[in-house]
Amino acid sequence: MSGVGLDAPGSTQLFIGNEAIARGALEAGIGVASAYPGTPSTEIMESLIPVAKEMNFYAEWSVNEKVALEVAAGASFAGIRAITSMKQNGVNVASDFLANLVMSGIGAGLVLACCDDPSAISSSNEQDTRNIAKWLDIPLLEPATFQEAKDMTKWAFDLSEELNSICMIRSVTRIAHARGNVTLGELPKKEQKAHFDSICPVVPTLPKFIPYPSAWLHSQLHGKLDKAQELFESSPFNWYTGPEEAELLIITGGSCWLYSLEAVNALKLQSKVGILKLGTIWPLPRKLIETHLGKSQKILMVEEIDPFLEGSIKELVADLPPASPHPAFYGKHSGHINAYGELNPDLVIEAIAKIMGLAYQPRDPEYSKKAEEVPFTYMPPRIMTFCPGCPHRATFWAIKNALRLDGRDGFVTGDIGCYSMAIGPAGYFQERTMYCMGAGAGVANGLGKLGQFGFSQPVLAVCGDSTFFHATIPALINGIYNKSNFTLVILDNNATAMTGFQPHPGTGVTGMGETTTVVDMEALCRSLGLQVDVCDPFDLENSTATLLKAIAQNGGPRVVIMRRECELVRGRRDKKPPYKVHVDPDKCLGEACGCDRLCTRVFGCPGIVWDNESGKATIDETICTGCGLCADICPQGAIIRETV
Amino acid sequence: MDMKVKGSKELLTEVIDAGLCTLCGACAGGCPYLVSYKGRIVLLDSCTISEGQCYQYCPRTYTDMDAISQGVFGTPYSGDELGTTKEVLMARSTDTRIKERAQYGGTVTTLLSLALEEGLIDGAILTKMSDDKTPGAFLARSREEIFQCTGSNYMACPILEALNHIPKDSTEKLGIVAMPCQILALSKMKKEPPQNRVSIGNVKLAVGLFCTWALSPDGFHQFLKEKLDLPQVTKFDIPPPPANIFEAYTPSGKISFPLDEIRKFVMPACAYCLDMTSEFADISVGSVEGIEGWNTVIVRTDVGAQLIEMAKEKGKLEVDTLPLENLAHLKKASLLKKKRALQQIITRSGDRKNLLSVGLQQSITDKLLA
Repeated sequence: MSGVGLDAPGSTQLFIGNEAIARGALEAGIGVASAYPGTPSTEIMESLIPVAKEMNFYAEWSVNEKVALEVAAGASFAGIRAITSMKQNGVNVASDFLANLVMSGIGAGLVLACCDDPSAISSSNEQDTRNIAKWLDIPLLEPATFQEAKDMTKWAFDLSEELNSICMIRSVTRIAHARGNVTLGELPKKEQKAHFDSICPVVPTLPKFIPYPSAWLHSQLHGKLDKAQELFESSPFNWYTGPEEAELLIITGGSCWLYSLEAVNALKLQSKVGILKLGTIWPLPRKLIETHLGKSQKILMVEEIDPFLEGSIKELVADLPPASPHPAFYGKHSGHINAYGELNPDLVIEAIAKIMGLAYQPRDPEYSKKAEEVPFTYMPPRIMTFCPGCPHRATFWAIKNALRLDGRDGFVTGDIGCYSMAIGPAGYFQERTMYCMGAGAGVANGLGKLGQFGFSQPVLAVCGDSTFFHATIPALINGIYNKSNFTLVILDNNATAMTGFQPHPGTGVTGMGETTTVVDMEALCRSLGLQVDVCDPFDLENSTATLLKAIAQNGGPRVVIMRRECELVRGRRDKKPPYKVHVDPDKCLGEACGCDRLCTRVFGCPGIVWDNESGKATIDETICTGCGLCADICPQGAIIRETV
Repeated sequence: MDMKVKGSKELLTEVIDAGLCTLCGACAGGCPYLVSYKGRIVLLDSCTISEGQCYQYCPRTYTDMDAISQGVFGTPYSGDELGTTKEVLMARSTDTRIKERAQYGGTVTTLLSLALEEGLIDGAILTKMSDDKTPGAFLARSREEIFQCTGSNYMACPILEALNHIPKDSTEKLGIVAMPCQILALSKMKKEPPQNRVSIGNVKLAVGLFCTWALSPDGFHQFLKEKLDLPQVTKFDIPPPPANIFEAYTPSGKISFPLDEIRKFVMPACAYCLDMTSEFADISVGSVEGIEGWNTVIVRTDVGAQLIEMAKEKGKLEVDTLPLENLAHLKKASLLKKKRALQQIITRSGDRKNLLSVGLQQSITDKLLA
């Protein structure tokens, strides 16, 4: 056994942060792991699944994050340690259950690992989940190193049990996806026995796992936080480096700790600037912080996304005795640290230099200018696009044509997934709204009820197959119930493609690879009394005609399923393309009237490229997947597909 | 209007969105961008060609009438009521089967059948009504298929899109039966032959129909659908004035609608059209007011004259002189269309010297407006 399940205590492994978290959960002896995929959190579950059977625990991809948390809570209630992992948006989905769960407390150790995505590199939004921990009174730890990611996760289970509360581990992309050394600990060998005991130890007539009586439980919860704070005061995850009396004190945590360390070293300010690194983020170790606050008159808070530490520490200062000296605070409020996006050592250097009145030039301005220009000189401009052979390209081609032909200024409401790229040229700018999972159909519900205000534009909601199960079904049912006028297009590529082809309820396979009942979305929709059409998006003519027919209708929602397997999944399985595709240069019209480079300029599959020299289109054989769709697009029949 | 050839974007702004599109189909089907759908020309994607054939052949972009006339007849545009003519006569088919089914005298069906039999053409682009009376372009390659296309429903149909769809290496000899706007577009194609499309030389015979206006296919079809069991309808007709009605023939008798009820579906572009008799066709065919079962026939080119002569010789057509009274009436009606259109154009442009897309000599404008 290799990777996270390696039974080699004391050995050092090179883990990404997500693997380190997974290892921590294994060392804590989890019995259950649940998740819904979402970048940058996905690899936590991805690294647990392969070892689940062998290590005798249960792992699943759940239908959504709320259910995932509930699955883990169920295990905890029956005395089995459980971890659930998700990205920041997922915590929003799970938050309703989470807000109730914190009131009741738990059974065995229960940990929620969430990964935030500063700069929203792979997300619909930028969001700081530390606020959720504070909002819901949940103890939260944040690793700054890969070793900490493993150690903290393991400890979070003990903490969870000691406090009788769910605990959160928060990491960010640069921890989750970066790689570092992790020294392994022991893997527990004991057998686990699940038993659900519902008797409340305080009020025996009440069940244990209810958030009631709420007010009393709320006060209990605050007691748990007080206890957590006491434990955090002496936690080894918090430490200070620097002079006894620092001119400037940096308070930071997580990935920003390393940025701060690099910045101080780069400026050679080790003797003047101290760094208080916090690993226990909520509740804050206030006594520890107060001690350091008293020793420095300038405080810089280095953190990503929200001014969480900054706000919380300022609150803390407000509670200090009136006689205490009031330091000057620098951070996001003062404008020294970006109030959005990721940080890096340069940005921290800039902040420190500004505060310390140093003229710091990270590199020669002339060099800097050249370095900035280089990428634009040698790198061709590239757009975000669908993969070669992606069925979504065909679907949006059909949608575009159908909406243009229909001529009533129809539009697409969507959400987050591979198909979000339809907000740009890859999907012909068709997707005009893009929010959270299922929001395309939800928003369409509202738009579809505006007939009384003269609204006559066709509304077409799109969702992926996994998103359909995740959060679209209630919106669809709402549309049926309230007779909202829209067409739901399910882009069924038989995978949760954007996060790495995880299975979902429609695939007939579980996370652990067992075959299971296929939840048939078509049958489900039909059982709701809906008109359902199923198209192969590669049959462009039929897809366009079907969409035209669907959007021409009035009344409640109707469903069109665009069904074709993700090309990457097909390619990995079949190992060969269905067609060999080439361009007949004699037939290709190129830029002439009658074509104007339709394939490369508009259709935009990266597998077809424009050859400047010949003035013709040509196939890039290194990336063409041989799907052959472009042969149907070419107005001259110049693209030839031959069966392989 | 600007005399320059422009691209699809300008075609959209200057013609289609400006309400001047006649739905002739000349711009559609020759590229992946412009297509016709339910009575509209749709631009599916942006095209960057700055001088497009779509714009070039549109009968509502700048048209030098002298140049067009030179191309077809070798003479400048005369501005005469009926355009350039060799002969105006009346005719009817001798085939009883054609006569029974025909709109008037069955002349068009007879001429096309003859042209096909004699090998002058291999097929003809025609308008065919579907079972529910939706008009659509149809390439008829046999007598029987030509016969299926008899009769009119007065709706515009972009049949030139079908011409543009024909593979560019086709050598098929084609006839075409078209409205005045379509005959004009065809003449523009003859003058500047299309690139990357079927050779315009393949079009061997252009039969033009008389037209006062055409109806918007989407709106009017919807209207008919609500009023009639369309598959049951055998014929539509607008009998000559003063009837002022639109008639639908059904097994249970004729159903008529006041013409005023129909007029709201007239293509707005028709108000700007100067041509009632398809002046650039080889042969133009219409009804004869007051003489049922006959067609007015205007022979314009040698091709047209030879075909009529052949039809007479082979006994396919019965031909007679058009009574002077009818000829005078036809000229009056045709001139009236020109005058009205010019007035509409001048009202729109706000300048007597600016005739928008119509490139006319000033002297001819003055003559027509006198």
